[in-house]
Amino acid sequence: MKTASGVFRRLQGFWILLVGLAFLGPLGYLIYENIRLRPDFAELLGSNRLWRPLGNSLLLATTVTASAMVVGTALAWLVARTDLPGRRAWAVLAPLPLVIPSFVGATALIALLARGGLAESLLSPLGVSELPQLAGFWGAWLTLTLFTYPYVYLPTYARLLSLDSSKEEAARMLGRRPTSVFATVVLPSAWHAITAGSLLVFLYTLSDFGAVDLLRYETLTRSIFTNRLFDRPTSVAHALVLGLAALVVVAGERRLQRRAGDPAKEEAPRRFGQMQALGRLRWAALGGVAAFMLFSLAAPLASLGFWMMRGLVNLGRDVGVVAMDLSSLAQATLSTVLVSATAAVVCVAVVLPVAWQSIRNRSSLAKATGVLAGVNFALPGVVVALALVFWALRMPFSEQIYQSYPLLIGGYVLLFGSQANQAAQVAVTTAPVRFTEAARMLGARRIRRFVSIELLLMTPSLAAAGGIVLLSVMKELPLTLLAAPTGLSMLSSEIWDSTETLSLAQAGVESLVLVAASGLLTWLLVIRRYRFGHST
Amino acid sequence: MSSVRFRFAFSLIVGVALVLGALFGVRSILINDVGYFETRNSPDSDEPEASGPDFEVIYSGPSIEGQSITVYSGRNEALIGPLIQQFVESTGADVEVRYGNSTDLALLIEIEGQSTPADVFISQSPGAIEYLSTEGLLTPLPNELIEAVPAIFKGEGGDWAGLSGRRRVLVYNTELVDVEELPSSVLELTDARFAGRVAIAPGNSSFQDFVTLMRLEIGDDPTLAWLEGMAANNSPTYAKNSAIVDAVVRGEVDMGLVNHYYMLRYRDESPGAPGDNHLFADDDLGSAVLVTGVGILDDGDLNDAAPKAFIEFMLSEGAQEYYFKKTREYPVKLHLAVPAFLHPLPSEEDAQTLHFTELADGLAGTQDLIDRSGFR
Repeated sequence: MKTASGVFRRLQGFWILLVGLAFLGPLGYLIYENIRLRPDFAELLGSNRLWRPLGNSLLLATTVTASAMVVGTALAWLVARTDLPGRRAWAVLAPLPLVIPSFVGATALIALLARGGLAESLLSPLGVSELPQLAGFWGAWLTLTLFTYPYVYLPTYARLLSLDSSKEEAARMLGRRPTSVFATVVLPSAWHAITAGSLLVFLYTLSDFGAVDLLRYETLTRSIFTNRLFDRPTSVAHALVLGLAALVVVAGERRLQRRAGDPAKEEAPRRFGQMQALGRLRWAALGGVAAFMLFSLAAPLASLGFWMMRGLVNLGRDVGVVAMDLSSLAQATLSTVLVSATAAVVCVAVVLPVAWQSIRNRSSLAKATGVLAGVNFALPGVVVALALVFWALRMPFSEQIYQSYPLLIGGYVLLFGSQANQAAQVAVTTAPVRFTEAARMLGARRIRRFVSIELLLMTPSLAAAGGIVLLSVMKELPLTLLAAPTGLSMLSSEIWDSTETLSLAQAGVESLVLVAASGLLTWLLVIRRYRFGHST
Repeated sequence: MSSVRFRFAFSLIVGVALVLGALFGVRSILINDVGYFETRNSPDSDEPEASGPDFEVIYSGPSIEGQSITVYSGRNEALIGPLIQQFVESTGADVEVRYGNSTDLALLIEIEGQSTPADVFISQSPGAIEYLSTEGLLTPLPNELIEAVPAIFKGEGGDWAGLSGRRRVLVYNTELVDVEELPSSVLELTDARFAGRVAIAPGNSSFQDFVTLMRLEIGDDPTLAWLEGMAANNSPTYAKNSAIVDAVVRGEVDMGLVNHYYMLRYRDESPGAPGDNHLFADDDLGSAVLVTGVGILDDGDLNDAAPKAFIEFMLSEGAQEYYFKKTREYPVKLHLAVPAFLHPLPSEEDAQTLHFTELADGLAGTQDLIDRSGFR
C-alpha cells in the first residue's frame, strides 16, 4: 500500500512539473522576443512611456480589486447565507456579468449614458438633463468593477455554502447583530476564497484591453496593443514588464495567503442551510442587490436589447438583424457551449493536482506553477495566443496539433489556469484533513478516499472553479481568433465581427444569446452542484 | 422540491416577459418621441436601395476546381464573406478562412513563417500588409494581375494590391449644421467657430494614418500645432469611428472626422438618420484615401494558381462593384463608375494616400504627437 501511494504522489509530482513547464511558455516567449528585438531598456526605464502606463495599470488594478472584493463578498453572503428575497434567481444572475466581454460592456454602458442615449430618453421626463459621461480612470474603474466582481463572488459563494453554520448560530444566539456575525464569523472563514477571487480581479484588470481602450485610459496593456506592430521592441518590453509586475504581485499575495486557509484546522461541516434573518434590513438588502445588478447586468442588456430593437425596425428590408443567418448563429452557439464546457472541465482537471499539492503538501513546485499561471492570466490574451503558436510550431508533431481543438483547449488552460487554480485551492481547503485520516485508518485506498470523500466535499468549490473558466472562455477573443481550428466560429468572434462592422443590431442579438447560453450553462453545471448544501 | 423548481421556472419566465415588455416600451418611446425611425416610410429618393441588386462575378481564369486555399482575413466576415462564397461557387475551389484583427493576423503569420497554413492575407489597413512586405513574407504578384490598380493603391514592390478604398470625410448632423458653414480644408477645423463641435477618435488607426500623412505633407510642427488647436478647441474625443457617427446622428456632437462608409452603412440600417458626409477638397489632407489590401504569402509552395485566381477574382469588376454596392467602399479600379451617393474619389494626381514604408517610422511619432497635444 505504501508503494502504491508513493507512485501516486510521484505521478502527481511529474504532472505538476509538466504543467509548470507549459505555464512557463508565455514568459519564455517574451524573454526570447526581448532578446531577439533588443528594446532599449535604458531608454525605456528612463522615460514616461513605461512608468506612466505601469502606474496607471497598478492604480486601476488596485482600485478595481478593492471595489470588486467588497461587492463580490457582500453579494455572496447575501445570496448564500441570508433570507434575501429571490435568492435562487440571484444565484443564477449574479455570476453572469462575467460573460459580458469588456468591449461589449463598455460600448453598451457608453451608449447608455451618452447624450440622446437610452438613459436620457428614459430619465428626461423626470427632469434629468445632464448625465455623467463614462471615460478615463473612473469610467474604466466602474466598468471593470461591474464586470469582474463575479471572480470574487463565485468562489466566496461556493465557500459560504459549504461552511458549517453552527458558529454563526452560536454568535446569533449570543445576540450578535447580522453585521457583527458577518464580520467576526463569516468573513474569517471565507477569507481565503475572497482573496483568491480578488487576485483574479487584479490580474484580469492588468490584462484588460477592451474597456481601457474604449474609455481611453492609458494602461500598460493598451500600450502593448498600440505598439505591437509598428514598435515591436517597445511592445514586447512592456509585455515583459507587465509579466514581471504580475509575478511580484502573485508571489507577494502567496506570502499574505500563508496564514489563511489551513485544511488541518478545517472543521467537518455539520449543519447547513440555517439562514441569517435580515429582519428589517431584508428589503434594504434586496434594493441594494437589485440596484447593483441593474448596472452590471440589466443596463448592458438593455443597451443590447435596444440595439436589437433598432435593427428590428428594418423588418422587410434585407439588412441588419433581419438578414442574420440564424443557422450560423445556432452553430456558433453550439460550438461556444461545447468548447467552453470542455475547456472548463479540462482546465479544472489539469490544475487540481497543482492546487492539491500547494495546499496539502505545501509543495514549492506546485506553488511556483500557480504563480506562473497567475502571470499568464495578467498578460493580454493576444500575447498568450502568440506564445502558444510560437511553442506549438516548435513541438514534435506540430503539423498534427497546430490549429487543432486540443491545442485550443490547451491554450485556454494556459490562459485561464490561474482561475481554476485559485478556486480549486479554496476547494482543497474545504476538504478537512481529518476526514482523510479517518478513512485511511479504516483502510480505504488512496484513490477511493479521494473520490468518495475529498472530491465530494470539494464539489461546490470545484464547480465554482469550472464556472469561472467557463464564463471566461465563452467571451475570450484573441486566443479564439488566432489559435482555433480555421473556420470555427464562436459567439465571441461573431459579436466582435458585428461590432467592428457597426452591425449593432446583430451584436445585440448575439450578445443576448451569449448571456442566455451562459446563464443556462452556469445553472446546469455550476449552481445545481451546490444543492447538497442548499437543500431544504 | 418540485414546487420550488416550478416556482423558480415560473419566476424566470415572468422575469423574461417583464424585460421584453420593458424593451418594447422603450422602443415605442423612441419611435414616437425621439423620432429616430419616423422617416423609414418616406425614404429619400436619392438614397440607394440598401439591399441593392445582387452582384454577380464571372470567373474566367484557369480551372482551379478542387484546389484548396487558406485565407487569413483581417476584413470582417460581414464585409467579405459573401464575396468569398461567390468565389467558391464560381470556381469550385475550397476556401478556408480565418477571420481576425489585421495586426494580430500579421503577427501570427510572422511567427508561423514558412510553416504558415495561410496562402492569402487580406488586410483591413495598408499598415499590416506592408509590415509583412517589409518582413519579406509576401510573393511578388504578376504584373498582369495588378496592372489595372493605380500605383498609389498597391505595394511598392508589387507584392500586394489594394482591394477597396476608404476616404476620410467630415460627417455632420444635417439638422444641426448648415452646409454653408462646412470648410473645404480639414485645417480650418481649428477655427473658433468649430469649438466643441468636431468629434475625433485619437486612438483610431485611420485617424492616426491621417495624422501621419499630415506630418509627411506639412511637417511635424504644423501637425502638432493643428492637433493642439483641435484639443484647445475642446473637440470631444471618441473611441472609434462608429461611436462618432452614432453620436453625430443622436445630435450629441455636430460633426466628426471619420471614414466615409460609416455614415453610408448607418443609413442602410436606419434610413433617414439625420447625418451626411461632407467632403473636403479633393487635394486636401482631409480627403486622404486609405486602402484595404491583399497579398500572397511566400510559404515555399510553388503552385499558387489558386491564390492568384483568388486575387484576380477579388480585383474583377464584379467584385469591385460589390464594394460599393454592399460595403459602401470605393473600388480601387478608378475607371469604374460609382453611384451618386458615393462621391467620386480624388483623381490619381490629387489623391493623398499613405504607404507603410513611410508609416513604419511614423506611427510611434504620430502617437507621441497626439499624446502631447492634450486631448482628453
